[in-house]
Amino acid sequence: MHIRDFIAPNKTAGLIVALLCAATTSLQAQTETPQTPADTLAPPAAEEDYSQYDNIGFAGEGVKRYCSPKIEGLSPAKLISIGYDYQMGYMMKADTFRRAGNFAPLMPDSARVLTSNGLRFGCNIPVISRTDLVWQMGANYWEQRYKFEDPSALKNPMLTSLSENGLRTMGINTTLFKPLNDVKFLLFQGSADLSGDYQFGKFMPLKYTKYSAALIYGKRTSEKKQWGVGVARTYRVGELNYIPIIFYNSTDVANKWGTEILFPARAHVRRTINSRNMLFAGYELEGQSYRLWRSNDQTGFNLRNEDAEIRRGEIRLRAVYEFSLKDFIWMSIQAGYRINYRYDVDRLSDGKEVYRAFGLASDAPYVMVNQLSNPLYFNISLNLVSP
Amino acid sequence: MLKLRKLDMRKFIVPMLLVLVAGVLTAFVQQNPEADRLMGVWEPSNGRARVKIEKIGAKYYGKFVWLKEPIEPTTGQPKTDKNNPDPSMKNVPLKGYRMLKDFVYKGNNEWADGTIYDPLNGSTYSCTIKMTNANTLDIRGYIGVSALGRTDVWKRLVVK
Repeated sequence: MHIRDFIAPNKTAGLIVALLCAATTSLQAQTETPQTPADTLAPPAAEEDYSQYDNIGFAGEGVKRYCSPKIEGLSPAKLISIGYDYQMGYMMKADTFRRAGNFAPLMPDSARVLTSNGLRFGCNIPVISRTDLVWQMGANYWEQRYKFEDPSALKNPMLTSLSENGLRTMGINTTLFKPLNDVKFLLFQGSADLSGDYQFGKFMPLKYTKYSAALIYGKRTSEKKQWGVGVARTYRVGELNYIPIIFYNSTDVANKWGTEILFPARAHVRRTINSRNMLFAGYELEGQSYRLWRSNDQTGFNLRNEDAEIRRGEIRLRAVYEFSLKDFIWMSIQAGYRINYRYDVDRLSDGKEVYRAFGLASDAPYVMVNQLSNPLYFNISLNLVSP
Repeated sequence: MLKLRKLDMRKFIVPMLLVLVAGVLTAFVQQNPEADRLMGVWEPSNGRARVKIEKIGAKYYGKFVWLKEPIEPTTGQPKTDKNNPDPSMKNVPLKGYRMLKDFVYKGNNEWADGTIYDPLNGSTYSCTIKMTNANTLDIRGYIGVSALGRTDVWKRLVVK
C-alpha cells in the first residue's frame, strides 16, 4: 500500500510529463521548417505500408488523362535565350546582278568575309500551361554582321549592303500543344518574321513580314518516346516551301542516349551525362528570306527598287554541349561546320514570291546565284530553362 | 516524509495541467478544416506517381507513396533519386521522398510558399497549389515569377 500509493503515482506523473515533453518537443520540431536533405526523407518504408496505395481510385468522376509535351530525358526547353554566333572567314562570290527592266546588269564581285557574327535573342513565355493545353508566345531577334577584308573595294550592291547593314530577323512566334488524350496530341507552331538588311533607325514596312507554320499530329507512346508527322510552311532553306515533317524524340532505357529530331529542320543524337549535362551531335537547317531594303547611297544604285530578296539557307553540322550553370540557368556551347545551301537573290513577281517547289512548280531563274565557301562556326548562349 | 511527498505532488500537478492545457489549445489552434482539405492522396496528370499530402505543424508536405514504375530497369532495384545534384541524395529511395514542402494555407483555396521537386531532372521549383474543387488541384511550379512556370492538374484518390 505504501509503495503503491506514493511511489506508483509518482511514476505515472513522470510518465505523463515525459509524454507531454516529448509531444511538445515533437510539435516544436515539426513546426520548424525542415532542412534539406534530411527533411526530404519521410519515415522509413518499414513504418508505412505503401501497398495500401496500390488499389485506390479517383474520388471524382470524369477524370481524363492527357499526355505531357515532354518525355523523360529530353533537353530542357529554353524560356529565355541570349547568345552570340560567330562564323570564321570564308569567300563570297557575288553573281552578276540582273536588274529589272532594261537596265544594264551590275558586275559580279568576289570578296573575303573575315567574320560574320551577331547577337541572338529569343524568348518563349507560357501564356496557358495546363494539363489539357499549353500555349506559348515568343519573340526573337537575330542579326548577322559581315566584316569584309576590304569593304571599300566592294562593287556589287549586295555585298555593299551586307557590309554596311548586315542582315536582321525580328519576329514573334507561338506554340500550341493540344493533347487529345493520354497518347495523341497536336502541335502547332507559327511565326511571323521581318527579315532584311534594315536597321532600327530606318525600319522596313511590315508588309514584308514572312509567315511560317507547322502542324504535327503525334503520339507519345511511352514515357521515353514521342513521334509525329505533319506539314510545314517554311523558309528554312531560304525560299518558301511546303514540306512534310517528321518529329521523333526518344530516350533509351538507361537514360544515356536519345534523339531529338524535327526532320528536316534538325536532327540530333543526345548523350546524357547526367540530367544537367548533355552532349548533342547533329545538324540544323537555318535560313530565312531577307528583303533588300536599304539603299546604297555611295553607288547611287537603289536596291529597294529591285524588289529583291536574299534566299539564305545553310546546313549547320554541329556538336553541342548544354549544361546547368546554376539551377535553371543553362549554358549552350556549340561548334560546327556551316555549309552553304543557298545564298541567292530572287526578285518578287508582281510583289509575290516565286514558289518553285524545288523546281517542280517553277524554274524561274534567280537574279543572282551566289557562292559561299564553308567556314567553321561557334555559338554560345545563356538560357533560362523551363520547369 | 509522507507529508513532504504529498506537498511535492501538488506543486507538480499544477504546471503539468498547464502544459496539458497549452498542448490541447495548441492542437486546437492548428486544426483548420478548410486548410486541411489539402491532405490526402493525389495523382499527377501523367499517372506515374501518387503523392500523399500530410500536415506537419502548420505546413503541408507531400511524399511519393506509389510509383507506376517503382523498379529501375538498369539495376532491377527500387528507384532512387539518381538525378539529385546532391551526391549524398542519389541513393535515397523515391518512394517516401518528400517532393512537396513547406506549403502554407493562404485562404481562397490556395496554398503557397512551398516548393516542388522534379525527380526527372533533380530541380526544385517554387510552387503554389490551387484547389479548383474538392478533388482537383492545380499545381503550378515556376521559376522566380509565376509567369515562368507550368501547371499540372492533380486528382484526389480514395479507397474504393
